[in-house]
Amino acid sequence: MRWQLYKKDPRFIFLSLIFLAVLLPWLPLGASSNYILRILTTAVLYMILALGLNIVPGFTGLLDLGYVGFYGIGAYTSGLLSIHYDLSLWVILPLAALNGALWGTLLGAPTLRLTGDYFAIVTFGFSELVVLLLRNELWLTRGPMGLPGIPPPSIFGHPLTHDWEFFYLILLLLMIVLLVVTRLQDSRLGRAWFAIREDEIAAQCCGVNLIRYKVTAFAISASIGAMGGAFYAKWFKFIHPDMFKFWESILILCLIVFGGMGSIAGTMLGALILIPLSEVLRAVLPQGLFNARYLIYGLVLVLMMRWRPEGLVPFERAQAKKAKLARERLEI
Amino acid sequence: MNTILKIIRLSKSFGGLSALREITLEAKQGQIVGIIGPNGAGKTTLFNCLTSLYYSTAGQIEFQERPIVPEVAETKRRLIKRCAILFFVLGLIWVPLFWSSFVPHTFFKVEVVLLGIFILSIRLLLVRGLVRFQIWAWGLMFVFLISDLWFAIWWLTHLLSSGPMIGTGIPLCYFAVPWGIIAGPFSIYLILQLVLRKVRQLYGFRLGPDAICRLGMARTFQNIRLFFNLSVLDNVKIGFHVQIRSGVLGILLKTRSQRDEEELTEKEALKYLRFVGLDGRAFDLAGALAYGEQRRLEIARALASKPKILLLDEPAAGMNAQESSELIRLILKIREKGITVLIIEHDMKVIMNLADNIYVLDYGVLIADGKPDEIRTNPKVIEAYLGGGTAHAET
Repeated sequence: MRWQLYKKDPRFIFLSLIFLAVLLPWLPLGASSNYILRILTTAVLYMILALGLNIVPGFTGLLDLGYVGFYGIGAYTSGLLSIHYDLSLWVILPLAALNGALWGTLLGAPTLRLTGDYFAIVTFGFSELVVLLLRNELWLTRGPMGLPGIPPPSIFGHPLTHDWEFFYLILLLLMIVLLVVTRLQDSRLGRAWFAIREDEIAAQCCGVNLIRYKVTAFAISASIGAMGGAFYAKWFKFIHPDMFKFWESILILCLIVFGGMGSIAGTMLGALILIPLSEVLRAVLPQGLFNARYLIYGLVLVLMMRWRPEGLVPFERAQAKKAKLARERLEI
Repeated sequence: MNTILKIIRLSKSFGGLSALREITLEAKQGQIVGIIGPNGAGKTTLFNCLTSLYYSTAGQIEFQERPIVPEVAETKRRLIKRCAILFFVLGLIWVPLFWSSFVPHTFFKVEVVLLGIFILSIRLLLVRGLVRFQIWAWGLMFVFLISDLWFAIWWLTHLLSSGPMIGTGIPLCYFAVPWGIIAGPFSIYLILQLVLRKVRQLYGFRLGPDAICRLGMARTFQNIRLFFNLSVLDNVKIGFHVQIRSGVLGILLKTRSQRDEEELTEKEALKYLRFVGLDGRAFDLAGALAYGEQRRLEIARALASKPKILLLDEPAAGMNAQESSELIRLILKIREKGITVLIIEHDMKVIMNLADNIYVLDYGVLIADGKPDEIRTNPKVIEAYLGGGTAHAET
């Protein structure tokens, strides 16, 4: 009986997955173990990014094409702070998140009055603007020379060097982001976002201030993106303006669409499938067809749109499942 | 019984078409007021004006003896429009002045141009806000006016003789001096206006739909507007939004007050669902409900914001006889709670049974008002519904 209840609870599934992930570095995978770990770290990083982006198009229903701009801002904040001031990771992460939130608010406050496609164009322009600034402001970002030699993060005086250490670090970040996102989702704020997505006029008439909640969504999403960027800079130890091009935004958006707009489980599943897929294809495809992996990527998405347009874990189903759990909770 | 809602000569026109012409309407505490009229008579437009989804063109609305749409004379409106445009034009000159005083002799510098575009777009947004009487616009304009004034004085004192150049060859003072002469007095005038008198009385700020809801006016929609992909319970919880306060920080830290609020929300939401008889379906998706149930859910969502006045837009549309008699009972129950109800309805059985007072609209004009019995026999009403010939034939 108890087991049945556990099985239904998504938290149980999630905990067992985390347990598996923690065990992972110690599985006997031989020489390729580090390679797999690195791919998985990337996948978890994209999970975080997708969870952050999900707040804007998934929860609030606004198409955001400029997410990578905040990712870049976070990465450069982290890189510059650690090169010039040698700050600790625990200071850099909140600072990067704050910087992202600041730019999110500055971009969002005047432009969130636009609707639909117009807003998407503005965000697209913003991400291009960030790349241009990173490329041209040599005094700050060293421009196209990139920013090499970012010192690795250290925890309690112990610098992180091994792949498994970074893997654990990103898992920790994922847990924090997941906690934030789930708490927001089941709160007054999350409900206001959903209301805006479902019907703006009805939401307004229920007392939801559209601008305020849209800007909040945008700022929180931006700060999560910036935090992802901050980790990326510390992990990769080199950042370059070309890493934050428009394509990244589209990729993260694809993860959400693939997994299911607005559903947290779907978003994570999308990242977990699509990001390693690219590496798997790299190994499977013959040398010459190496770049055809993006073609296959596109094919997967097209097939997905044909057979499951609402994504792997559709929002409505997640919602229905949540409601079912709530019913059981109230009746017990 | 005191008057809770008072509409005084409210007009609304879309371009040349006037949808409402000088409507005057009054609702007393605890009354059920019916609004009827043929299709296209402007009933829903009236509701939209009441909830601020549309901004009315003229007239006043008083809610609980407080003007939510205050009277703004046409001359004052024109003056504000002119001031707003002047404010924007001053901004257009301000930006090149700003840029040439900080980076003289350059014609193009990315950051400064970006800053200029940013400031201009905010000023443009402000102009729209000012003309629509929105409070944020006036607050932000105050800040801009002070900065304008400061710059005007600075330029007049420092750059009278020979200043730096704009681009190559044009001395700054040709722009700066006239600008300072116009902008100085203009900003002093507006700042004094804003500071010296009671701003709200002077300009009459408009409230947005969310602020109207917070004041205690909730509504339902003619074409059902539920949050279809959320559960029934969540729909009502969103209605409860204005009753709770928790912010981002409280939510992230899950403070005690936030948890208490969540518990309260759930309890209250279930209470309202029980009130409309939907508690059995609390955990289904709203989109899965039957049509009549969706109508009742909309009423529950509106009630959850604890309104003082409830606007129902054709609640009985598409209901069968049994459902509509249930609806009548529900509305009477709502009235017993002390909530005033304004109801638009085509179903004459419903409206004649419920309403204490009926207003009849036709082509945006109020053609009759009174008790249901008076309306039933009013020749003007019969004419509006059945056409002139029939009314003539009857006599």
